[in-house]
Amino acid sequence: MKKLLFLLLVGFMVIGFSTALFADQKNYGCGLGSMAFEGNDGLISQISAATTNGTSGNQTFGITSGTSNCTQYETWTSNEKVNVFVTDNMDSLAKDIAKGKGEHLDTLASLMNIPQKDRAAFNSKLQKNFSRIYPFGDVTAMEVIRNIEAVISST
Amino acid sequence: MRHLQRVPISILLSCSLVLWAAVGERLCAEESSYLESVLREAHQIALHQDRYWHILLHYKKGLFGTRSLIDDPRFFLAKDGKYNPEAELDAFIRAIFSNEIKDGKPAACKFVARYEWIKERLRLDMSRIPGPECKNFNEPIKSFDSLLDEMQPESVTLVFPDAHINSPASMFGHTLLVIETASKSKLLAHAVNYAAATQETFGPLYAVKGLFGFYKGYFSMLPYYGKLQEYGDIDRRDIWEYPLNLTKDETKRLLMHLYELDNIYSYYYFFDENCSYDLLFLLEAARPSLNLTDEQHMWVIPLDTVKDVVKEGITLGTEYRPSQTTKIQHLASLMSEEQQVKALELAKGELEPDRILEQGISRDEKIRIYDLSIEYLQYLHTRKQVTTDAYVERFLKILRARSTLGGQDKEEYAVPVPPRPDQGHGSSRIGFAAGSKAGSPFQEISYRPVYHSLLDNGKGYREGAQIIFADTALRYYSQDNKLKLESLDFINIVSLAPRDLFFKPISWMVDTGLTQRIMNDGKDHMIAQLNPAGGFSWKNSFLGLYYFMIGSSLNVGGALTNDYALGAGASAGLIRSITDFWKIHLYAKDIYYGVGDEYNYFEAGLMQNLILSTNSSISLGVTRSKTLSFYQTEVKCGVNFYF
Repeated sequence: MKKLLFLLLVGFMVIGFSTALFADQKNYGCGLGSMAFEGNDGLISQISAATTNGTSGNQTFGITSGTSNCTQYETWTSNEKVNVFVTDNMDSLAKDIAKGKGEHLDTLASLMNIPQKDRAAFNSKLQKNFSRIYPFGDVTAMEVIRNIEAVISST
Repeated sequence: MRHLQRVPISILLSCSLVLWAAVGERLCAEESSYLESVLREAHQIALHQDRYWHILLHYKKGLFGTRSLIDDPRFFLAKDGKYNPEAELDAFIRAIFSNEIKDGKPAACKFVARYEWIKERLRLDMSRIPGPECKNFNEPIKSFDSLLDEMQPESVTLVFPDAHINSPASMFGHTLLVIETASKSKLLAHAVNYAAATQETFGPLYAVKGLFGFYKGYFSMLPYYGKLQEYGDIDRRDIWEYPLNLTKDETKRLLMHLYELDNIYSYYYFFDENCSYDLLFLLEAARPSLNLTDEQHMWVIPLDTVKDVVKEGITLGTEYRPSQTTKIQHLASLMSEEQQVKALELAKGELEPDRILEQGISRDEKIRIYDLSIEYLQYLHTRKQVTTDAYVERFLKILRARSTLGGQDKEEYAVPVPPRPDQGHGSSRIGFAAGSKAGSPFQEISYRPVYHSLLDNGKGYREGAQIIFADTALRYYSQDNKLKLESLDFINIVSLAPRDLFFKPISWMVDTGLTQRIMNDGKDHMIAQLNPAGGFSWKNSFLGLYYFMIGSSLNVGGALTNDYALGAGASAGLIRSITDFWKIHLYAKDIYYGVGDEYNYFEAGLMQNLILSTNSSISLGVTRSKTLSFYQTEVKCGVNFYF
């Protein structure tokens, strides 16, 4: 009986450690809640991630990346860089807009060439119109850009 | 001899040929004689021995002569280029003249740093050489000039993501370089990363292959915001930025060398040729007066490379970016428990966001509740504790309510900056101690190449994290006049991550190595052991960091009756800083071995460390153990130096 208990305990430890081995699938996408990277909570995967610094696959030397699966379009304020930035930073940008400030919002403003003196007004206008910019959960990055443009061109 | 006799005829023949061809082939002949003179000059000044050539080609002197650390044959033009700096230089000079196509483009268009350097060093007369045309040969890899145009690099920052709170393995950290551009937006800067490329998902194999060079390491460049998400938001690691004083020209040189390394591999070795080491070549390429790649460390630990770079005097202060976890903890610390619970309920969807607006609390308090709940909700999502659909819906609802409250101008969100990691104690330790075990006096010398224990000076290190490799203690027992190996900890890792309202991590430890243990004959014998354990830890101001764990234990050794013993048990302890310079660890553990040999092992101890300076300390330890029916007390006092 005692031996059985020990074996069970030891077995439990082994299973506990080995379930942590399997890495999660990555979740790429274009909308809110999609992340460029996924975390791993497993013990061994943490250690092994540390041994190789865990980049999987080859990242080529293209300067921009991350929008390959997402449709893009061009309008008067948006350019390739705005598209890529908003797509890759949907959640952080939403957060900054709701708070009316932040590094991501500053970066968007500089990409959209908003002069420094107009930044405070830009930030607060976007904040006040948060619901217009993010009307529903599956809003896409391109819709967000379009909505931001609509907000800043409205008086 | 026979050959010489024919010479006059051949001279006659070639003379007439030369006369004939002289006009049409004049350019060609001149070029080739120019090539010869250039090669001659290169040999005369022994250009292949120049340090910069060795930096660009990653040549290092080893036991078996010079070799390049780059393994990709496409990096070399000469057949033996990996081992022969001179042949490689000749081949490259020839390639400049012939415009030899290498991987779809002239070699001079790929190896831009080599080309620029040789042009300058040998003062090449470009009017006498058909210069290469570096177009955008095969998209998406652009020509260097168009890359430079697009990026407008200005300066370089060394970035060090600190340890992950619940993963001491990450304590080794990682380093990357960030190339900042004219746009001045940090987020849009380009993060240069060197990492092993792998699709492996099976953990242990992945780790082993990483250790022994089975993976190819490649450089990559990504927007910095991606790396910030990866390390700061998802991996929960604080990030330290060390801006470097490299000039714009030096930054350009760095990028030139990086361009040469694009899509070129070296085999990746966790301990030396790793993420941190290879980046150093880029810094040397930028400023050849730096000497970073020759630093002799037994293992290249990213933090050590940060220290080396700081020592070279090229850093301009530091900037600290707290991880999302750190931000959550800081924000929570500013709030009452009642308000923290509200934030928690919002994030878990147990409270409608609009309800906060109706409460009779100040605007600032409402803002704090929302802001904390937003961060925590994101945390839950990255941990997969909430589905993406539920997350998005909740996220937008909270943000909508938050957006009605306007700005928050106070600077209270600024997380206090902790001590810099490069100012912590050295990563190797040597100790001298004296004491008595079971009444028998001893002197001890111990050496620990890596890295940090729970009792060491915590400045610059993660609290509750311990990672030790190859800690070796030799003892001389004067009574028996015997020198013996007291213990050898191959690996000893502890991760004590305290649980609180927001975070419920598992704490764990694992150690494996050799140790002395009393056996049936009442004498010490060496056994090998492996002890994994898991449990919980908490923190409060009275007890400090305290833990409780259950675990298993395997002993293997010839002195055991059955050669092995397998058991299970529990341990508990607390680690507390009594003052800034005085740390204690009080613990007890009890293990019952029931498979193989049957016996019980109990140990309790009080270990103390008095910190004298960043790199020295005095340790005092008392342990009492019981093996079978043998009691043993050990007292030890020693001094430790870190380097």
